[in-house]
Amino acid sequence: MAALLEITGLSTRFKLPGGELRAVEGVDLTLEPGETLALVGESGCGKSMTAASIMRLVPPPGRIVSGSIRFKGEDLLQLPEDQMRNVRGNRIAMVFQDPMTSLNPVFTIGNQIAEGLRLHRGLSKKLAEDEAVEMLSLVGIPAPRERLKDYPHQLSGGMRQRVMIAMALTCRPELVIADEPTTALDVTIQAQILELLDRLKEETGMGLILITHNLGIVAERAHRTAIMYAGEIVESAPTDELFGNPLHPYTRGLLASLPENAQPGERLATIAGSVPDLKMALAGCPFRERCPICEEVCATHHPGMKEAGPGHLVRCLMVP
Amino acid sequence: MKPLLNAQNLVKQFPVQAGPFEPRRILTAVAGIDLELYPGETLGLAGESGCGKSTVARLLTGLMPASSGSISFDGRELGSLDAPGLVRFRKEVQMIFQDPFSSLNPRMRVEEIIGEPLAIHGIGTPAERRDRVATLATRVGLSPDHLKRFPHEFSGGQRQRIGIARALAVSPRLIIADEPVSALDLSIQAQIINLLQDLKAELDLGFLFITHDLSVLRHLSDRVAIMYLGRIVETGSREAVLDRFLHPYTEVLLSAIPRIDGAKEHRVIARGELPSPLAPPSGCPFHTRCPYAQPVCASEPPPLEEKEPGHAAACHFSKDIYRSKR
Repeated sequence: MAALLEITGLSTRFKLPGGELRAVEGVDLTLEPGETLALVGESGCGKSMTAASIMRLVPPPGRIVSGSIRFKGEDLLQLPEDQMRNVRGNRIAMVFQDPMTSLNPVFTIGNQIAEGLRLHRGLSKKLAEDEAVEMLSLVGIPAPRERLKDYPHQLSGGMRQRVMIAMALTCRPELVIADEPTTALDVTIQAQILELLDRLKEETGMGLILITHNLGIVAERAHRTAIMYAGEIVESAPTDELFGNPLHPYTRGLLASLPENAQPGERLATIAGSVPDLKMALAGCPFRERCPICEEVCATHHPGMKEAGPGHLVRCLMVP
Repeated sequence: MKPLLNAQNLVKQFPVQAGPFEPRRILTAVAGIDLELYPGETLGLAGESGCGKSTVARLLTGLMPASSGSISFDGRELGSLDAPGLVRFRKEVQMIFQDPFSSLNPRMRVEEIIGEPLAIHGIGTPAERRDRVATLATRVGLSPDHLKRFPHEFSGGQRQRIGIARALAVSPRLIIADEPVSALDLSIQAQIINLLQDLKAELDLGFLFITHDLSVLRHLSDRVAIMYLGRIVETGSREAVLDRFLHPYTEVLLSAIPRIDGAKEHRVIARGELPSPLAPPSGCPFHTRCPYAQPVCASEPPPLEEKEPGHAAACHFSKDIYRSKR
């Protein structure tokens, strides 16, 4: 079966006064239809910029400097802008973290959901509205016909996130990228939204890229997981394998630092220091200054990805 | 032992008006809660957004007057304090805030930020203050050359360290921390949790820790109180509340946490969303979302009563629901 999405060697950089910032560096990713891939990392690790690169929505002064993003075999980076517009929101859709700032406050939600349908599918106003009602009820919004006339501020955070998901799904995309879809929500609502995404994925067979820093969500929802650090993927594996047998010292550090993995009151394991300056020239392993197992060679050799088991890739010189 | 902080029947109401011609309505953010905190103890207060936990923090620090009820600190009633007494109270109760970006003045250097409470309370000579600031900075893990810098030069974790040093400057006896780690990245969160843990052990402080993250709550608290719609629905020791919960809301909150082991079978999902505190449900506030609600729950508000020694819950059916489950 052909992969739904195949990213190879993707690099995205920002030209800044202090130098060039490597936001995404040599990222390889594959996603099969119906699969959930989790992209995990801390702020600034490049996970959101990877998503923006797939959508070709990298904000200036950033630009994609190399790589290819094959979506059903077609390289998105080679598409002319007008064809890309037909992919965006239609075949690949995004759900953003903060529904309050990603919805337009001066249009009704009915208007915003119907926009995609009229634009991409050329539906009439009436038909688009009916479809919008259907989408709203699909995502579990009560009395959807009445809600069409509401403005975003009239809805609660959970309802707004449902609207965002309805908007993303209106054109039945083949791929949905959800960037921290539940971070702004309370846990009880988070559980509802994640159930919803899983159910819709089963019904429509779409692929899902789930960007999050919550390892619990990853463990529950993702088939495969890629851990990012300083713009690079440092480890990727089937989720069970990754949690059961983490190999990269950063992955191990993240898992060990969770309060869930410690006794109450016990000291938590920490990863010393903080993320390096991505404007500095890349020599050696970007994690070496925080790494508990690094050796001299890590300062001079940049580790490549190597296969440590079936489907388990890791970027570390110290892992045999 | 006498409680360090004792709040009885605390109520806070806000008048709200949606527009100039709309009727004035009353929003009850805190609907009659009792809290006791003993020296050296950490009380964790948890609940979802809008449950009133941050309002409780503001009431207890005296940043906002309560509509009714009483707060006493070290045996003295807050309302009866004269001006010097209030100044002393403000020295002894300090706060750590959630957002390390908006809670530090961007125009002040780190040494001024940490030293400001000392200056305000007139503690020590300028030279002594400088020494104290340097000691505090080292204690929270900042280096001396950080002191001349401005907040924007620091990462979130470092800024939270500055906020903690500022709270400790005047040697408070009670620290109220409102979501101190929820704005931080995972690996940084663990560093700050460890720091708070160390300080707690070292300084014998009373600690009121407010959070929505139950795994952090479990890690840091001795006693736990769970809030829902302005009320405490369950309270007791950490083990009692988090391992042998007696309120369906606690069960729902705990089971909603995505687990590292990927097990989803435990999940008990609450229906719907938090009702508006402007129009709270009749009877038990949780009955509209409760998976076990009975007709009586819609009419009779359950009192917060002790179900086992030191463990109280506000639910008519605690015993029936949880006896069979355990």
